[in-house]
Amino acid sequence: MRYLLRRLGHALFLVFGVSILAFLFTTLAPGNYFDEMRLNPQIAPETLVALRAQYQLDRPLPLRYASWLNSAMHGQMGFSFAYNAPVAPLLLVRARNTLLLTITATLLAWAIALPLGIWSAERLGRLPDRLIGWSTAILLVLPDLALALGLLVLAVRTHWFPTGGMASVGFESLSSFNKFRDLARHMTLSVAALVLSALPLLVRHVRAAVAEVLDAPFLLAAEGHGIPRFTLLYRYALPAAANPLVSLFGFSIGALLSGSLLIEVVMSWPGLGPFLLEAILARDIYVVIGGVLFSTIFLVVGNFLADILLYWIDPRIRTETPSA
Amino acid sequence: MSRRRKVGFWLVVLGVLHGIILCAGFLAPCDPVRQDRKSPYLPPMRVHFLDARGHPHVRPFVYPLQLRPGTFDQYVEDTSQPRPLKFFVPGDPYRLLGFFRGRVHLFGADNERIYLLGSDGFGRDQLSRLLFGGQISLLAGLLGAGFTLLVGLCVGSAAGYFGGWCDELLMRLAELFLALPWLYLLFAIRAFLPLSVNPLHAFFLIVAVIAAVGWARPARLVRGVVLSAKERDFVRAARGFGASNFYLLRRHILPETSSVVLTQAAILIPQYVLAEMALSFLGLGVPEPVPSWGNLLSNLQQYSVLVSYWWMYLPALGMVPFFLGYLGLASALQESPDPYKIERRSLGSLA
Amino acid sequence: MEPILKVENLVKRYAKRNLVGASQDFLALDGVSFTLTPGTTLAIVGESGSGKSTLASCIACLEPPSSGNLWFEGRNLAQSAERDLRDIRPKIQLIFPDPASSLNPRWNILDIVVEPLSLQLRFSRKERDLRAFVLLERVGLSADMAGRSAAELSGGQRQRLAIARALTLDPKILILDEALSALDCSVQAQIANLLLELQSAQGMTFLFITHDLAMAAHLADEIAVMSQGRIVEHAPSKKILRSPAHDATRQLLAAVPHLPHKPGPAIQP
Repeated sequence: MRYLLRRLGHALFLVFGVSILAFLFTTLAPGNYFDEMRLNPQIAPETLVALRAQYQLDRPLPLRYASWLNSAMHGQMGFSFAYNAPVAPLLLVRARNTLLLTITATLLAWAIALPLGIWSAERLGRLPDRLIGWSTAILLVLPDLALALGLLVLAVRTHWFPTGGMASVGFESLSSFNKFRDLARHMTLSVAALVLSALPLLVRHVRAAVAEVLDAPFLLAAEGHGIPRFTLLYRYALPAAANPLVSLFGFSIGALLSGSLLIEVVMSWPGLGPFLLEAILARDIYVVIGGVLFSTIFLVVGNFLADILLYWIDPRIRTETPSA
Repeated sequence: MSRRRKVGFWLVVLGVLHGIILCAGFLAPCDPVRQDRKSPYLPPMRVHFLDARGHPHVRPFVYPLQLRPGTFDQYVEDTSQPRPLKFFVPGDPYRLLGFFRGRVHLFGADNERIYLLGSDGFGRDQLSRLLFGGQISLLAGLLGAGFTLLVGLCVGSAAGYFGGWCDELLMRLAELFLALPWLYLLFAIRAFLPLSVNPLHAFFLIVAVIAAVGWARPARLVRGVVLSAKERDFVRAARGFGASNFYLLRRHILPETSSVVLTQAAILIPQYVLAEMALSFLGLGVPEPVPSWGNLLSNLQQYSVLVSYWWMYLPALGMVPFFLGYLGLASALQESPDPYKIERRSLGSLA
Repeated sequence: MEPILKVENLVKRYAKRNLVGASQDFLALDGVSFTLTPGTTLAIVGESGSGKSTLASCIACLEPPSSGNLWFEGRNLAQSAERDLRDIRPKIQLIFPDPASSLNPRWNILDIVVEPLSLQLRFSRKERDLRAFVLLERVGLSADMAGRSAAELSGGQRQRLAIARALTLDPKILILDEALSALDCSVQAQIANLLLELQSAQGMTFLFITHDLAMAAHLADEIAVMSQGRIVEHAPSKKILRSPAHDATRQLLAAVPHLPHKPGPAIQP
């Protein structure tokens, strides 16, 4: 339990630290939303000064951070200049879409990578292993961007999948099953691009981790006891190889979040990616800070889940004594 | 193949690939920014050896493309006037490596333009833009990785060698940088820097941004190596001979980090090329008309381009051989990550 | 005779952190005192974990003691600044237990032997090389090995190399921390004889640290037995062998292998 509490404390430290870091970066910014506005002759300079004061841009950084923290406590996370609305509700909608994409992609990627990696490790050096090795190498050298654009070209040419957005026109009037189907069809391209970009690294690591364990004497002994192959691989070898894989799980969430940023823009998926890009171009700083913070929270929560998973799988952590 | 030979092989492959990009001016048939408003979105010209009547020619040639009557973007080959390909022809002036002036191009067709990879919306030659774009993207990757590793090496060795509060502070900071998904971090840092600047400033800006994003991981790795290296007996022995901290770091400890740093370089460079591509693709990087692999692709964000002009997609595959080279190098380097371990193993068998 | 080194009440405390962050002290040296007469050999004998190696590191100024005094050439090394220690360290040289790790595997033999001299900026480059060759010959390594990597040497050759390297600086005190333990018996004997030879030729002072009471008796004039961070018995070698006073000494004596017909400790050649 102490282990989990410690990890929780660490996660909180990270979220706070990143928010402070993000605020420090804002002082680097040479321009802000209202500077762009100043070029507009229809807005009087007095109005700008008033606006700056209203949004507290004229106050020193620590005070701004304090009032931002206060607004974050009230579920606002600052104010978007461009949307003239609190940031958090705006972000939540997008974050939900991004989460939908990344969680689906993470689960799918692992669901494919585990059996493939284990199969590859079991047939080390034989045909399946080599085939998997070559195809992951090909995927590995294809840049994410090329992959996403390629899928998009394919979809546009074949009309197999809808491109752009996450729902068809008239989505609201569909039955719930058809809603699900429509959503799934819209997601397919983005999820496929994400899964394909994450897959090669996952498969290779699973293969390496399992192959190492398969050499261990206790598994040879278990094989000698006549335990069936499948049980041996999934009930004995996999948990023993879990430790590096669980930390890879945390890492894969980060990689998929990063990947989704780009892929959302390419596929026009209404997630954090396009929203953040728009905010950057408009110098809408609180939205940028909020978006970055959301992504941090996802990653930290993902890593915390990985820690819990590890706690659950690895008895050594559960029995850890304070003096160790 | 031994590890040494594998590393050598991939280094040669990468050397050749980078050499091609370095000589872009000579290899490209024309200036990457020269426009030809009369031929937008020209498909790639095919190289022929047989003419329209089926006669073989020793010298390969291309046919110029003409608009098919009644369309605005359909081209047909005009077989009446073949343009023979010639080698070492004079053409647009260029500079090699930034200062050698030249006019001679590897191939071309006397004063006529040829588009082996088609043209973009301004009638600019895609092949030339691809080659010159590589200079920007690869340089961004190499410089970015160089700076990152320099920072990582300094921070990591300071944290590992001096320890104490310095270590604590630097590693907490590194954790913060690692807690962010790296593309988000890239965006965040880019977000707070000026948006519209001239291409040269933009280039250095993104190199700085890219370099700032990735220092944490190499710093942590270097710290680990330094931490174990400074407790080695040969380091303590050298201290016993009156060595200063600087001497110990330079002569004994930093050489131990070399394999980690090299492996990180092979991993970081393609990643940073990708980062440059992502930024430029989204319009946050090197602006037009200067070509880079990222902004070559940004045309594809227009639906009509994506649907109609498949050759505009080709630049996306331009970096595949480079990625292959770096991947090969990284895995060859990782084969035995620490030469000392082998040393120790062979020593163990002797003792 | 005036002692060359005087150790007074030396204490070394390590803070062990547990998970909660509270520190628990661990006493590696718990008030060690002795004196070292020039030109003699003192053996510090004790089982592993008794604090011998910590003592060696403290005397060689590689680790600061927590309290106590270390008198050497009229200076208290325990209270000296890092800057002063840099001048002292060459005079007190330490030979490490494992020659495989005390020699940088990336360097060649000549560079290794010359390193102390180039660090102290003594002599010209040419003279340094010359002195290195002389010392290599003296410890029984041929000078034409100089270009090879240390990794190509055998264990015994490596330890000779380490000794040659320490001798370049003409140290006043040579500390041998389990310097023979990792070696084969025959090699141990060779190096032990080399050390005796050096002592009679140059009048060098040795601090010989080992867990092997037999080897200590062979080499040392006096033996100090350590147990749990303290010196529990300190006497001339013969006296310790004949009439051990402390339990720890008796246990160490019992560990010495001997032939059944020959009572008492047998010293292996």
